[in-house]
Amino acid sequence: MKARLLAVLMLLALVFGAGAQAKEIRVLVANHPYGDLLKAAIPEYEKATGVKVNVESLQESQLTTKLTTEFATNSSSVDVFMTRPLQEGKMFYKNGWYEPLTSYDFSDYPDSAMGVARFGNKPYLVPLVTEWQVLYYRKDLFKKAGLSVPKTFTELEAAAKALDSADVAGFASRGKGAAAVTQISSFLYNYGGAFLDKGVAVFDSKEALEATRFYGKLLALYGPTGVTSMSWENIMPLFQAGKVAMWTDASVFFGQIVDPAKSQVTAADVGIANMPAGPKTNNPFFVVSWGMAVARQSKNKVQAMDFIKWATSADLAKKALVASIPMSRDSAWADPAVVAKTNPELVTTQAFAAKNGNPFDRPYMSAVGNARDLIGEVIIESINTAGTSQKLADLAKQKVKQVNELLEDTGEYGMY
Amino acid sequence: MRKKTIHRILFFILMLCIAGPVLFPFLWMLSSSFKTQVDIVAWPPRIIFSPIVDNYIRVFAEQNFLKYFKNSLIVGLSAVSFSLLLGLPAAYSIARFKQKKLSVFILVARLMPGISFLMPWYIIFSRLKLMDSYVALILSHMLIALPIVVWIMSSYFESIPLEMEESAMVDGATRQKAFLSIILPIATPGIVTSITLSFIFSWNNFMFSQVLSMEKTKTLPIAVYNFVSYAEVDWGAVMAAAVAIMTPAIILTMIFQKYVVKGLTMGAVKG
Repeated sequence: MKARLLAVLMLLALVFGAGAQAKEIRVLVANHPYGDLLKAAIPEYEKATGVKVNVESLQESQLTTKLTTEFATNSSSVDVFMTRPLQEGKMFYKNGWYEPLTSYDFSDYPDSAMGVARFGNKPYLVPLVTEWQVLYYRKDLFKKAGLSVPKTFTELEAAAKALDSADVAGFASRGKGAAAVTQISSFLYNYGGAFLDKGVAVFDSKEALEATRFYGKLLALYGPTGVTSMSWENIMPLFQAGKVAMWTDASVFFGQIVDPAKSQVTAADVGIANMPAGPKTNNPFFVVSWGMAVARQSKNKVQAMDFIKWATSADLAKKALVASIPMSRDSAWADPAVVAKTNPELVTTQAFAAKNGNPFDRPYMSAVGNARDLIGEVIIESINTAGTSQKLADLAKQKVKQVNELLEDTGEYGMY
Repeated sequence: MRKKTIHRILFFILMLCIAGPVLFPFLWMLSSSFKTQVDIVAWPPRIIFSPIVDNYIRVFAEQNFLKYFKNSLIVGLSAVSFSLLLGLPAAYSIARFKQKKLSVFILVARLMPGISFLMPWYIIFSRLKLMDSYVALILSHMLIALPIVVWIMSSYFESIPLEMEESAMVDGATRQKAFLSIILPIATPGIVTSITLSFIFSWNNFMFSQVLSMEKTKTLPIAVYNFVSYAEVDWGAVMAAAVAIMTPAIILTMIFQKYVVKGLTMGAVKG
């Protein structure tokens, strides 16, 4: 009798104990417009659920450092976090840092996005934001030169040549080694090349080399001075200052180059178009740049699951798209009320890329940082020689070997 | 008379040659902190522009930089104070009893890459529930401050003639008493140097604070990154924040400059 009473008491204590604790969760977001949107909306969530959300916002590389340290030492108190699937997804998954999200409804997400959210047969992260390769161009300069927007690489080169002057660079794209890897990817695909094929590095193929030479030639002949040390941080200000006629990069920069508070070029003169087609095909990258995940080490998984469902909900996605954050959810792009408030050219390029896009803009592997450095060397060699380098093929072959070694080190060689 | 004028002009030109490259980035930063984003990225650079203070408003009102100033101050001052408390007697002992091995050992701690400490620290501090606490940050910053104090001060103490404290001890003072009332006052320039240098190193430290601090104890160098986001850099605010962060360090250096130079050369010559 006494024992039974004790058991009941203990059970009660357990129930109330569990109810009393875990009313607080810790969420790490990136310094990203969606992170800001979430932070502004969290008070509502706290009010509705009674769960206190401790949110921290960090610059993306700090975020990765922090998550890696906390998870690796197995002493993390993070419950939910924003994550970059292509940059860190594979490593985080292999280290067992993502909690599988089996109870989440993924029906609203395109297959290409789910490709990086799923490992094996389980989803581990919720796609948040997508971005795709586009061509930004100056409508006024095109009009003055009597040109139409390039649809193919041949036209792209001709337009770059015609628009290039002492004052304005005809064409710009990232030239800084590792940073350029993501932006050369669409060139590679459109020439029929790839970084990896079935888990083996193949960026020394004939097609990939042709693409690399073309990219190098365009930037060397018509690019801004010092392009081999330029990433988007350097090219965007040039475009905003009116010093670039065409720029291929990710769609995320659109908002900033048409913002009169940031750009000298008037918004009416800025166009955004599909990436031109290559000799083989037209598959610009269409990638999930940010996702959200629950930490495997979380001690508050029930609250964490509830939070992630709210934080990635369709309502918030629509709100974000109106604020020019390109969301992954299909329903956001299908809502006419939302689309009406979004730039029509952006919508067109999204539709094209979503249909034809390649879901990777970099070699998808655990050691992606190292691999990008290696591929970056090939790109720089090509730019420095305007695509004519005699040793480009040998250099690429050597780098392919090194990337394959990286793949072997992590047991990913030949796996896909 | 004419020769003197020519000398002056030459001197001025030479000074400009040296100061120009050093000061240029600083002036660029200062002017950018008063510019709009459009003016900052404008090409050619705009020398004449209508200055705005929006960047500073964003730094202090919207991002609450005063809180981060407070955090940096608490961490820096405490780390330096505790380092002096431990480092001064240690340096004295090293100087007087020729404990060269000990001083090398302390130097090795400074030479090891800081990142190698971070993982163990993280485990220890999180087990002790000290994450996001000043204690953890202060302890970690003592790794920066303590070796500086010990190294500057041990060579400084060596340069003080032994007779000074011997005469005090002949008059009946204990060694401790001689250290406190004779040696320390003489060593003031050295102490000021070590305070200035170790405080600045702590003030600018990024790595330890990045991992060991969270929202509550975030220090200034981390907070600057609040203006760097995915696919966007708010250059105006970054510049304004940089100006704000540099100012205390510059003021501190200006005040103690005389001591710093003296203290450094004392150590260098006699060490």
